[in-house]
Amino acid sequence: MAAGASVRESAKEMKRLKNEPLLLLAIIVIILFVGFFVVYPVLRVITFPDIQDYLQLFTKARWFKAVKNSLFMTLISTLSCTAVAFLFAYVIARLDVPCKGLFRFVTLLPIVSPPFIVALSYILLFGVQGIVTKQLLGLQVDIYGRLGLWIVQTVTFFPYAYSVIYGVIRSISTNLEYAAYNMGATRWQVFRDVFWPLCRPGVAGGALVAAINVLTDFGNPQMIGGDLALLPTEAYMQISGWYDMKTASVLAVALLIPAVVLFLVNRFWVGKRSYVTITGKEISLNPFPLPKWVKWGLFSLTMLISLFILLVYGTLVYGAFTRAWGYDWSLTLENFQYVFQKGRQIWNSIRYAFMASLGAAFLAMVLAYIVQKKQVGINKFLDFLAILPGAIPGMFLGIGFVLAFNSKPLELTGTSAIMVLALLFWNIPTCYSSATAGLQQISASVEDAALNLGANSFRSFKDVIIPLLKAPFLSGFVLAFLRSVTCLSVVIFLYAPATTVGTISVMVLVQSGQWGEAAAFTTVLITIAFTVLRLAQWILGKQGIKLEL
Amino acid sequence: MDAYIEFKNVVKRFDDFVALDHVSLQIPKGAFVTLLGPSGCGKTTLMRQLAGFSEPEEGDVLVNGKRMNGLPPFKRNTPLVFQEYALFPHMTVYENISYGLRLQKLPKEEIDKRVADMLEMFNLVGLENRFPKQMSGGQQQRVAFARALVMGQEILLLDEPLSNLDAKLRVEVRTELRQIQQKLGITTIYVTHDQDEALSMSDIIAVMRKGRIEQVGSPWEIYFRPVNRFVADFVGTVNFLEGRARSVADGVLAVDYAGMALQVPTQTPAAAGDVVTLVVRPECIRIAAPEEDVPAGAVLDGMIENYSFLGRMIRYWVRVGDASFIIDDANVDLTGARTGPVKLCLDTHKLHVLKDGGAHADG
Repeated sequence: MAAGASVRESAKEMKRLKNEPLLLLAIIVIILFVGFFVVYPVLRVITFPDIQDYLQLFTKARWFKAVKNSLFMTLISTLSCTAVAFLFAYVIARLDVPCKGLFRFVTLLPIVSPPFIVALSYILLFGVQGIVTKQLLGLQVDIYGRLGLWIVQTVTFFPYAYSVIYGVIRSISTNLEYAAYNMGATRWQVFRDVFWPLCRPGVAGGALVAAINVLTDFGNPQMIGGDLALLPTEAYMQISGWYDMKTASVLAVALLIPAVVLFLVNRFWVGKRSYVTITGKEISLNPFPLPKWVKWGLFSLTMLISLFILLVYGTLVYGAFTRAWGYDWSLTLENFQYVFQKGRQIWNSIRYAFMASLGAAFLAMVLAYIVQKKQVGINKFLDFLAILPGAIPGMFLGIGFVLAFNSKPLELTGTSAIMVLALLFWNIPTCYSSATAGLQQISASVEDAALNLGANSFRSFKDVIIPLLKAPFLSGFVLAFLRSVTCLSVVIFLYAPATTVGTISVMVLVQSGQWGEAAAFTTVLITIAFTVLRLAQWILGKQGIKLEL
Repeated sequence: MDAYIEFKNVVKRFDDFVALDHVSLQIPKGAFVTLLGPSGCGKTTLMRQLAGFSEPEEGDVLVNGKRMNGLPPFKRNTPLVFQEYALFPHMTVYENISYGLRLQKLPKEEIDKRVADMLEMFNLVGLENRFPKQMSGGQQQRVAFARALVMGQEILLLDEPLSNLDAKLRVEVRTELRQIQQKLGITTIYVTHDQDEALSMSDIIAVMRKGRIEQVGSPWEIYFRPVNRFVADFVGTVNFLEGRARSVADGVLAVDYAGMALQVPTQTPAAAGDVVTLVVRPECIRIAAPEEDVPAGAVLDGMIENYSFLGRMIRYWVRVGDASFIIDDANVDLTGARTGPVKLCLDTHKLHVLKDGGAHADG
């Protein structure tokens, strides 16, 4: 009966839309867009192979192994990512130690960098021509493969888990722990019975975010995976080496399934189990001090990892200025001259990222506004459409675009448009969640207040809603821009010689051993990303708004 | 009574829930009228019908004889102070206060002058360029008042504006607010669930419950002559004495209560044999001194069960028959509280008689 009533209610709300043609139009356009650029490509990939092709997953040992390897790498990397993330979150949120600024900076670095940068640095440090292995130790070791990839994935993706876990730890009131101490609990009991259970949803959420990223990552395995067969790299090989779209689609679907499962678990299971309550007025006491040896032990561990990450980035910058890594250590600007010659690719990176993020931020803003502030009867459905691309691995979307738009009705292969559109829809969930967060801050009565003072609907939208949406719009835009500039997996299947972007060049350079040029390219990309981030933080900061990543 | 604002048989439904059930209320010009009631009683909804944030399904809303129904909120000239202030977070104090005037495209000098007057009146001088989040709750609240009053309208709507302030500030602000309202002569509707605010500020109180108005009257009428148990109980602490009327003569009702006889002057029509409920406020009962000569017809025998010392008075719980009475004794003895059996003197002129046990309209 309740369901019947809510359906009737929805129908009533939808009928009212007739009086608001603009809103109706916006909804129809959004549904068509998402349908055509997300749902259609996904269905194309899933339906492209036939049953026989799918059975290869079980019959062909190499594919079966790729599935196993992917899942295993995801598992161990998630464990290590979560452990490191928890350490950082705990130290930053709860310990009274110096160098917290450095620790925070370290957790930010991998987020604004291209995803393969750690792999590249790792090669420069420990590879055949590595500064540590060859130069300092005189070793010849094979770093390609499971162990190298594991370390690289941990460093690359722990910051994603960190931001979730840190958010949860910060919101746990220390008063609860004091209450437990007050009732006679020991430090260990407080940790076990109070602190840890409250952290658990955050830790689970962080772990899942890390898992999704590790599972679907393409850049790091491509550069350092060596012979290790993984789903994303195998799929890439099928297309780039054999033009076998059917097998590539099968592997992509095999990747999609665990990705969707992780996504759904995170959204609907972990999300509901969060104990976080925002009361705003609660005053927490300072955290109960830990024994000195524990505190400084944790500090040293965090410092060690931070220094390692700084070493990784430092190596990259050093590599960018080195004539021939491993042979000629003299400093040079030649690598940057090379980047300058290839300026068109950097320009493409910026151009595509700018257009895609602008489009994504705008579309997501409208979508979030409708879902949050308007009762249109299909709010839940629209919300689902907005988060849907988040469940789709980047390379899956790329393959989908190849299959969907290489022929009529819309032939886009090799154009700039296909690059922009793919990045745009890939970024919708990112922009949507920051827009939603921003809109939830605006209480309904603020709009009422404007009406009450004599502003008509148009004026109140212009004077109150638009200015208040500036911040969430900008933060969505910046996040999408960072993701787009550093993105490899989505565009790797879509580029043509004229539409090559920086990340693709880096991959090609690494594969041909041109590490200096690759490092210079990457340094330029990071510099762009960081500049945009700091600029946005500065602009928002002037209005007293903190940009959260 | 000349009605300046009038609600006529207003009905408002949210799906199956009836938020306003044929509500009628007349408000004279310049009056401070409080809509008082528990949460969900429809008081805010009623105010919103006047501001135009929602439209009644039936009935009319009139201002100065003019029907307001269907008029959008931005054409109603009914400035409202919101419970959570609803200050525009991206505008400074000056921009917030002047926003409505700027919409009217008034000349800059006039806007500046009127805003300056408001800043002065609400003690906000020097804070013009602050943003809302840079100010305390009390300051934000004064900006909200200024933003509404600067419009210079005949009507001011206040939706629980003091509920986010701490207790002490609340008492200060309500005195100030009442003074400003009286000085400017603005017809004011005030929504609250706080009986102290209602009693201390209002010319007229309308007590609401479940979408209906239970009683309209002055604070005195509402407090001492409530129409039923709900009103009596909602507006302050109260003792209900249920007794049987024995006789009525010369406007004096003789009531039997727990085997004791009381003589109560009343205008409530009651006949011998009726069950009546006496409404007795805690301060209308006095504990007699041990050897005092107590007047007949106004005395009950009781036993002190418990007390609570509040400084300016002592609150006693006294058992009389089957009931426990609450008594506020303002005559605090330096040495401590009374104990044991006592005689209770009732101020019979301040008692109020409800017929039929004081049942509510909907039983």
